[in-house]
Amino acid sequence: MKLIFKIAWRNIIRHRGKSLVIGAILFLGAFLMTIGNGVISGMDRGLQKNIVEGFTGDIVLISDKQESDNVFFEFMGKAVEPVYDFVKIKRVLNEQDCIHSFVPVGKNMVMVLNDVEDGAPGYCSVLGVDFGRYLEVFPDNIMPIEGRLPESDEQGAVIPTGSRKEFFDQMGIWYIPQGEVLRDENLIEEAKENIAELKCSDNIAFMGFSTDNSTSDIRLSIKGIIKYRALNKIWGDFVLMDIESFRQCQGYFTSLDNSVELSDEERQLLELGSNELEALFSDDALIENQSEPDVIQNNAEDSFVHTQEKSKTTDIDEGVYNLVLVRLKDGVNKEKSLKSIDAALGKENLGVRAVPWKKAVGTIGSTAVIVKSALFVFVMLLFFVAIIIIVNTLSMAALERTSEIGMMRAVGARKSFIRMMFLGETGILSFVFGGGGILAGILVVNIISALKIKSGNDVLQLLFGGDTFRPLLSMPDIGLAVLQLVFVTFIAVLYPLKVAGSITPLDAISRE
Amino acid sequence: MTIIKISGLKKNYPLGNTTVHALREIDLEIEKGDLLSIIGPSGSGKTTLLNIIGCIDRASEGSVIIGQKEISTLNDREITDLRLHKIGFIFQTFNLIPVLNAQENVEFPLLLMKKHTSGEVQRRVEKLIEEVGLKEYRKHRPAELSGGQRQRVAIARALVTSPDIVLADEPTANLDSVTGESILELMKKMNEIEKTTFIFSTHDPNVMKYARKVVKIKDGLIAEEAAS
Repeated sequence: MKLIFKIAWRNIIRHRGKSLVIGAILFLGAFLMTIGNGVISGMDRGLQKNIVEGFTGDIVLISDKQESDNVFFEFMGKAVEPVYDFVKIKRVLNEQDCIHSFVPVGKNMVMVLNDVEDGAPGYCSVLGVDFGRYLEVFPDNIMPIEGRLPESDEQGAVIPTGSRKEFFDQMGIWYIPQGEVLRDENLIEEAKENIAELKCSDNIAFMGFSTDNSTSDIRLSIKGIIKYRALNKIWGDFVLMDIESFRQCQGYFTSLDNSVELSDEERQLLELGSNELEALFSDDALIENQSEPDVIQNNAEDSFVHTQEKSKTTDIDEGVYNLVLVRLKDGVNKEKSLKSIDAALGKENLGVRAVPWKKAVGTIGSTAVIVKSALFVFVMLLFFVAIIIIVNTLSMAALERTSEIGMMRAVGARKSFIRMMFLGETGILSFVFGGGGILAGILVVNIISALKIKSGNDVLQLLFGGDTFRPLLSMPDIGLAVLQLVFVTFIAVLYPLKVAGSITPLDAISRE
Repeated sequence: MTIIKISGLKKNYPLGNTTVHALREIDLEIEKGDLLSIIGPSGSGKTTLLNIIGCIDRASEGSVIIGQKEISTLNDREITDLRLHKIGFIFQTFNLIPVLNAQENVEFPLLLMKKHTSGEVQRRVEKLIEEVGLKEYRKHRPAELSGGQRQRVAIARALVTSPDIVLADEPTANLDSVTGESILELMKKMNEIEKTTFIFSTHDPNVMKYARKVVKIKDGLIAEEAAS
């Protein structure tokens, strides 16, 4: 072995031109592979942190009646089917060992009513949440830049910066939190230009878009202007409001409604879908004794009222939600966990199904997969090109050394010796240059990560896995780069080994 | 004692639609310790004969027995091992491994054998380097040696495994006459010291005086076989 490495090393030095060509390819390949791995890994971590840990959880429970799994970004904000019986769902989820935490939310589109006479309305998506519980599950997701976040039982809304800008563009109103003064530094350029005529409001009126059209207008005080810690461009269209106001706005069965004694028949009627309700109107079977929400119905076009604070003596979970966002424990098998949760829910016949977060966010999830796949294909192409060049260069090197190899074979060197000699040469080149490439890649990944390059571009944010480009290399990633390098080296050397091993002493004599 | 027995040896090369008969019908017996010269003009078949004896090429017909082994029955690995243990080679030009110095070139076949201690290798190599007169050049690489010095290294390497046979294909072809003669003198000396069978090919009739036996080949046939 010592002899093989001695000859291999000296041959590398002797043929330094070719060695440098192969070395440069290996260096560049390993360098780009390492950076590619870092980007993929950083993106994975970023998406994990910013989408899964910040917004959707690993699994989203949706109604069985929901046609599309894409509940967050469906085209034209189609209404999401309601989920009933969260109390029972909660019981099932609490029995699952793989679950870290979960939170039920309401999610739908709303129209934002314009207080300005003849003013155009605005539109946005809203999440109805119990703020305290939501922040327990997604503690790092939102930060107030003006005002504050509401308490657990508090009514009100928080508006992300993205929505505030949209509302200003659509409606000409600049929303600020209740009790706060206008902050010039947070104004967008268009607002600054017309600051003298700027219309501000500290409350906002929503009209819901639910599946059965029994929606209400609701006016809420704005508690805070928030920024999503990451992917604010993407999540920035989601206004958060308290769940009870959301239910009233969407015309859903609220927990307060539950305080009224309803017969089973009445409850069933309340839970009917739009088609079934339409069928009911054909005869005289109308709901009696339905409790009236303290808001004006949406046919009262000009009158907005504040919802009244109600004493929360009832369980908030007894009302209607649209989604349940589930976070899994670290290290559990996500696919298996999803199946097990889905099976447990199905067994209880609760009318919900579990979907992975990637499906729930629709194109965003698939874009992430596409970008990740594109990066993977790029790295694989790099491998392929590197392999072709190395195979060609090494094969040429083997043929150019026919005399030397033939003579070695003549004096008693077996084919295996010749092959090991070539493998040794390539192995040394791979170790020195490829190792150098990996080290350089690690260095560059760390430098890029430290630079905290930011982007406001949606696609770049997906590529970055957040607002900041933070490629990441963990030990398994570095291990993967080493494995890739070994794989490339091994594949690249196979054909040259065959060429070198097939050289006979007679080839050497014939060549002479 | 017969060390090589060749009977009915033929070697044909296809060349387009025709066949070149490099060796037509060779019968030859070589005794242990012989210093045999195969002479003949270019294209007469002497290199082909040496290649077949050296297990570098295979016969089209006939048999070649080296020691007790019929070489046509051996596989590639067995032939390689036969070359390593029984045969030493001295080629015309591509003789040495360029990246190894003189001493390392000489020890190369011994290291391939993997049966000697480093001390034994060292002693054997130093003895042979000294015998071929290259003690001062043992750390020189082939590129730093003259043609004659390279052939001396090749002779030392051919002998280092104590083979039964050393084959030299026109060992003096690329050397000036003085150096060529010194190489032949050295081969003769080593033949006497090591008692190794030397077979060398040449087209130079003057070389005959160094051989104890001369085989003249013409058009692929033995034209003359005589003691020198």
